[in-house]
Amino acid sequence: MKGIMKLLYCAALSAGLAGCAGTTDTAAPATGAEEKPAVSSSQAAHYAAMMAKPAPAPEGGVTANRIPGAAPMLDPFAKEWDQAKPVSVTMTPQVVATPTNPKPAIADLSVRSLHNGQWLGVLIEWKDASKSDRLVPDRFGDQVAVEIPVAYRADTPPNPMMGAPGEPVNIIQWRAAFQADLDRKREITVRDLYPNAASDLYPDQVLKTQDVRSYTGAAGVDNPVAKHRDSPVLDQVAEGFGTLTTKPHQEADGRGVWKDGKWRVVITTPMSAVAANAPRLNPGENTVVSFAVWEGSSQEVGARKAWSDWVPLKLAK
Amino acid sequence: MPKVYNWQIGREMEYLYADARPKKQFAMVMDTNKCIACQTCTVACKTTWTSGRGQEYMFWNNVETKPYGFYPLGWDVKVLDKLGVQPIDGAIYKGKTIFEAAPEGERVLGYLPDDLDYAHPNLSEDDSVGSMTQGAFMQLPHMQWMHYLPRICNHCTYPACVGACPRQSAYKRPEDGIVLIDQMRCRGYRECVRGCPYKKPFFNSITRVSEKCIGCYPAVEDGRQTQCTVTCIGKIRLQGFITTPQQAREDNPLDYIIHIAKIARPLYPQLGLEPNVYYIPPVHVPPPYLKQLFGADVEAAVNGYRKAMDDKKLLGALLLFGATSDITHHFKVTDRFAIAYNEKGDELVRVPFKEPIYLRPAFDEAYQTVRSNIT
Repeated sequence: MKGIMKLLYCAALSAGLAGCAGTTDTAAPATGAEEKPAVSSSQAAHYAAMMAKPAPAPEGGVTANRIPGAAPMLDPFAKEWDQAKPVSVTMTPQVVATPTNPKPAIADLSVRSLHNGQWLGVLIEWKDASKSDRLVPDRFGDQVAVEIPVAYRADTPPNPMMGAPGEPVNIIQWRAAFQADLDRKREITVRDLYPNAASDLYPDQVLKTQDVRSYTGAAGVDNPVAKHRDSPVLDQVAEGFGTLTTKPHQEADGRGVWKDGKWRVVITTPMSAVAANAPRLNPGENTVVSFAVWEGSSQEVGARKAWSDWVPLKLAK
Repeated sequence: MPKVYNWQIGREMEYLYADARPKKQFAMVMDTNKCIACQTCTVACKTTWTSGRGQEYMFWNNVETKPYGFYPLGWDVKVLDKLGVQPIDGAIYKGKTIFEAAPEGERVLGYLPDDLDYAHPNLSEDDSVGSMTQGAFMQLPHMQWMHYLPRICNHCTYPACVGACPRQSAYKRPEDGIVLIDQMRCRGYRECVRGCPYKKPFFNSITRVSEKCIGCYPAVEDGRQTQCTVTCIGKIRLQGFITTPQQAREDNPLDYIIHIAKIARPLYPQLGLEPNVYYIPPVHVPPPYLKQLFGADVEAAVNGYRKAMDDKKLLGALLLFGATSDITHHFKVTDRFAIAYNEKGDELVRVPFKEPIYLRPAFDEAYQTVRSNIT
């Protein structure tokens, strides 16, 4: 038996991976319970104390000028972006909910916005010397998110920290790892992560499609972060910490390019979305947006992030 | 933070959630004295549960050689080092748990292993402590020591993975206490990987979410023991359910071994998770090391095990290891047999205290030949 184990481990020693013969595998059960308790009372108290000190929003906010067209904005290098004024948004360490991130790697984002009456586009740029899009047990990916209130009221804006019960926010998150999948134009394989990996048969190579589903973990239960996507962004809704849920109908889109030590990411969303829990954005009206950013090589993920307060967003007529 | 009672450390402690013990608690007893590190359990688990893409490096069950073997590399010494020296003597643990020692802004005290830490699952196999000096010769007990430590998820009463997850993707089942990661809800933040001191949640780089030992819940729901238990060729494991010391039932073999005979101890109880895999400690290992691994009462456990012959009920419970693939809920000892019953009270197996011996004549008259095996 030890001989067999050694065989299994030889691949592990050379490539950080073991290829193993196997017959079955399955995922833990999905409870399907997406909605779970949001903000605990201690979190709420802490939040109230901290809310005094988010970094101030840039003066005048962001103005989304109107451009012609009716298509989603998916090119971060399109010349139309010259028509939008970049605004610097100062990021705040996330120290309200545990785990915290008292010293985030990204201090500010450069943000600009355009709309064409059908789609709103937000271009976000930040300096990041390392491109992080390889997710292995000790590596995390670069990510950025735009948050928009589902129903904006100027006098009582929702909680900028992922909303609150009864105050849903639309959070559209772009992930570098999803972008890498799309740029590769196919699903990720182990060899993409570990070029020298060796393995023998996987269940999906010997079983019928209908039988293999339960052998593929989170992908088999259609976890939105686990399956190959046709967009690098997740269109989500939240009502407080720990409630972030990917919407069943994905409408937002985006694209990010890392070039010369800088990420340039465009996130675009329909102004009159069909799905529930999406903001209705009308030309000539005002709303607010806020941002979150994660620097993968600094092990930023989930709550370990930098966030911004609401930034006023004017949608030009 | 809410206060919960952890009987393994004899006191209340802080935990992320209020006390909510399951109706039944999944548990396992492993006799380290009988383990030969053949890894049959490891392979049984691997082929049953982790043969998929992204699971290549995962061993939900592994067997390591202690004190120098680790999977992932250095998992326990790293956590102990972070926790710092703690007083572990006495029935009540006076040191800090990983929940109480959590740094400001963190939910638990933990660390994220490096990718390469998983690349040497059998490192230091069979390495023993101390070196052979000039002129050394075979002695009993041996001058050197090591022991094998088979490990699965401990399905803790106060799981650090559950406490660490900021979106409640990891959860403990109320029906049987099995700890799972919701594969639909998990987003791969790896807070569970970071938080679990036993390092039994694993990140799947292909599905980009975390996975862990599922306590073979489809089998357990059906009244059968886990794959690692039923495939164990050394019959070192018994899987079933455990109650608290106050509710211990004499006719539950796990309760008898753990709560009444007190010969099995949890792994690193000082970390505060109330783990539910119990080990009969290796009798030949120096007590100071055993104390660090299994807590203050470990010497009593070793002594109790040495005297198992005097306690027929204990002997009966130990005979049930590897005797049936079903979960034993009740057991009974008669003059000649240890008898196991399922939850409904149906007899599962009866194991004789003494195996009958049949002697055959050395010469086989029918075939006119000499037998080489006559028993």
